[in-house]
Amino acid sequence: MGSVRPTPTDGYPTPTSILQSATENILKARIPGHALPTDSTPVQPTLQRQQHLRFLLRNLVQGFPARYVSQDASQPWLIFWTLQGFSVLGVGLDPTNKKKTVDTLLAMQHPEGGFCGGPGQFPHLLPTYAAVSAMAIAGQPGPGGGWDQIDRKKMYDFFMSLKQPDGSFLVSHNGEVDVRGIYCLLAVATLLNIATPELVEGTAEFVASCQTYEGGFGNASYPDWALDDGVIDPSAPRPPLGEAHGGYTFCAFASWVLLQPYLKHYMPASRPQINMSSLLRWLTQMQGIAIELGGFKGRTNKLVDGCYSWWVGGCVGLVEGLLGERISKPSPSHIDSEKDEEWDDVDDSVYNRKALQEYVLLAGQHPAGGLIDKPPKNADAYHTLYCLSGLSAAQHHVIPNETRKKELLACWADADVANDKLEAFRRENFAFALSWLEEEGESRFVGGEGNRLNATHPLFNLTVTHTENMMAHFYGRKVPSRYKKN
Amino acid sequence: MPAINDDEPQGPQLFSERPEWADVTPVPQYEGFQPIAPILYTPQYKDATDYFRGIVRTGEKSERVLELTEAIIRMNPAHYSAWQYRYHTLLAIKAPLDEELKRMDAIAIQFLKTYQVWHHRRLLLTALHSSSRTSPSSVKSALEELAFITRTLATDAKNYHTWSYRQWILAFFDNADLWEGEMGFIERLLTEDVRNNSAWHHRFFVVFGKGSGLQRGASQEDSETVLKRELAYTKDQISLAPNNPSAWNYLRGVLEKTDTSYERLRSFVELYTVSQVKPDQSVLDLENPGPGTTAELPCVAALEFLADIHEKAGGDEVKKAIEIWKSLANEHDTMRKKYWEFRIKEASL
Repeated sequence: MGSVRPTPTDGYPTPTSILQSATENILKARIPGHALPTDSTPVQPTLQRQQHLRFLLRNLVQGFPARYVSQDASQPWLIFWTLQGFSVLGVGLDPTNKKKTVDTLLAMQHPEGGFCGGPGQFPHLLPTYAAVSAMAIAGQPGPGGGWDQIDRKKMYDFFMSLKQPDGSFLVSHNGEVDVRGIYCLLAVATLLNIATPELVEGTAEFVASCQTYEGGFGNASYPDWALDDGVIDPSAPRPPLGEAHGGYTFCAFASWVLLQPYLKHYMPASRPQINMSSLLRWLTQMQGIAIELGGFKGRTNKLVDGCYSWWVGGCVGLVEGLLGERISKPSPSHIDSEKDEEWDDVDDSVYNRKALQEYVLLAGQHPAGGLIDKPPKNADAYHTLYCLSGLSAAQHHVIPNETRKKELLACWADADVANDKLEAFRRENFAFALSWLEEEGESRFVGGEGNRLNATHPLFNLTVTHTENMMAHFYGRKVPSRYKKN
Repeated sequence: MPAINDDEPQGPQLFSERPEWADVTPVPQYEGFQPIAPILYTPQYKDATDYFRGIVRTGEKSERVLELTEAIIRMNPAHYSAWQYRYHTLLAIKAPLDEELKRMDAIAIQFLKTYQVWHHRRLLLTALHSSSRTSPSSVKSALEELAFITRTLATDAKNYHTWSYRQWILAFFDNADLWEGEMGFIERLLTEDVRNNSAWHHRFFVVFGKGSGLQRGASQEDSETVLKRELAYTKDQISLAPNNPSAWNYLRGVLEKTDTSYERLRSFVELYTVSQVKPDQSVLDLENPGPGTTAELPCVAALEFLADIHEKAGGDEVKKAIEIWKSLANEHDTMRKKYWEFRIKEASL
């Protein structure tokens, strides 16, 4: 067991490198065989499922401790993080708690459309996504089931009231423009079948304008130099505000993917472009080196953090899904390597999935339950979900499946897609989103099958089943079973 | 009536205990049922937000609403509805917005990492200066705001919202003096920490944000002058600390933005792909500053850059790119093995 190389500092320390070194000293103790003599907890790559479930359940039933007042304007998020955490761990809620959840969420729906951070607050795109996603898990059709009590018409009006001339959206009235809001809006519009060309016109161009010179995406772009009487001049400068960042990059790229059906149907000839190679480079550059256990950072020269397992690790999965065969076809010249041969032979990814799993399992779990940013931080609901989702994304390949897409398109045989452009658009949204499936035989589990998590849809961070059920309802389609009869 | 015990701590009074708030009906958050996953609020927070829901219901916009919203913001700076309502109240009662900006300074410093704090300032500046951005008093305000941002960056040099907000201020006021002043500021920060990626990103925004090569300014620099300056600066920073991804990413960004060939950097990059620093550099090449004696070589980013030069050159040079990618995959940057294999595959097509 050789010593693990620290990040080189070139004999030129700065605050960044000093913090990085200090962090590496803590992280390296989690590498098997490198534990400090004072460490009493041996670290195994075993997912402590029961402890994490207890952590989540405690929050759900007993409530969140007082320090969570900082999340009082994010109550739907607390619910979503907890419920999706359960889903990824393969556990469902009982009917009583489901009903309680639905009632709680409905109390956060604003009479004028959209969901709020809590009852009596104002509607906002981010809690809207969290509430609708939580509904996908806890709700169902019918009276009191939650789904049919979502006011889709008012929600659409709320969305349109936030739309800006540059294709972006404010997150709330008088709120900021932020690419997270756009992702939340598009995810909800897709799930609830309320997307229209009017809603998303100009949005893809806005998203593209948020890509920075590093290849990732910032949180917004500056519109005024390119706006002439409310119309964007595509040749005028529209620089990104804020450096490339993992969270914004996920939201921007997932938005980009969700907009593909719109671009296909309404802009086939003149599509905006993003730079996929620089995006892929930036994403893979965000993975930490061995001494950081292969966790992901959110920005260049910043520290690894468990939540980027999903935002960045998950985003690479999305890129892989969109690039398709370019990534997955076997390499013509196999690279010989003594280490990890068995894993490498079967893993087609473009990032190190094995190392990401190791980060979550060895550095991301808190001994008292729940998951974390990095040791020695405490667990919280947010990091618990995104570490687990990231681990799931590293275990499974969830990518578009052509056969499934054909089956889904066939559900619309009765629709007049040739003459009704909006119906054709809806059909494409439906079939595209639901064509993402777990690739059979391609899942890999560091630490063994006992660490297996449910696969999660890379666009929504819901299970494929929850996504399917909700969309089947709101698109009015009967979806054929994913499981083949023998 | 119980005697007042002087030993008991007297915290700020709840709104429910204050006679001047008696006309407001507080509204509990959940009426009629027990929610799932409740937050276990402090009595102060529950009280203030009950009263907030109360005044929202009546639509009251008055001076005392400012006190209430500030109390909530101080307990939970992420309460976007309190911020939104506060903003509407300020406008409705025609409160002096420049005083509000000053009042918010202390809150901004305390709650740096919260979006709403910065967004509120942006709303205030927009309301104050939208129609008069170029006036001397507006530019003065912008300078004060930039100075305020500089102070907060001293505490947290990479705060995302702060930097994003600074970029917005510069773009919004779009004033020559403001743009010119930024370069000195950026260089100071990069001298303090050459690895501060936020400062590098800011540099790119200032130099190239409004279009390649030229920013408005008294001196009309041409694109080639700007390019030379940026390349020289970046090369110098690389020579100080070669294993700094921020500088290499900036270098790539400059080349892409100005449509300059990577080939132009070949001699420079090759200084960093060797395994050891060449002991005798008797000729000081200002064009190609080399690594110092403590540099850790070969520099992974330099190897990657050289591979890109080979790949772009095409023909026989592609083989050299593949050799470098193999060495990265197997030796120098093994975490990214899959990515380097992907590059080999793509180049082999």
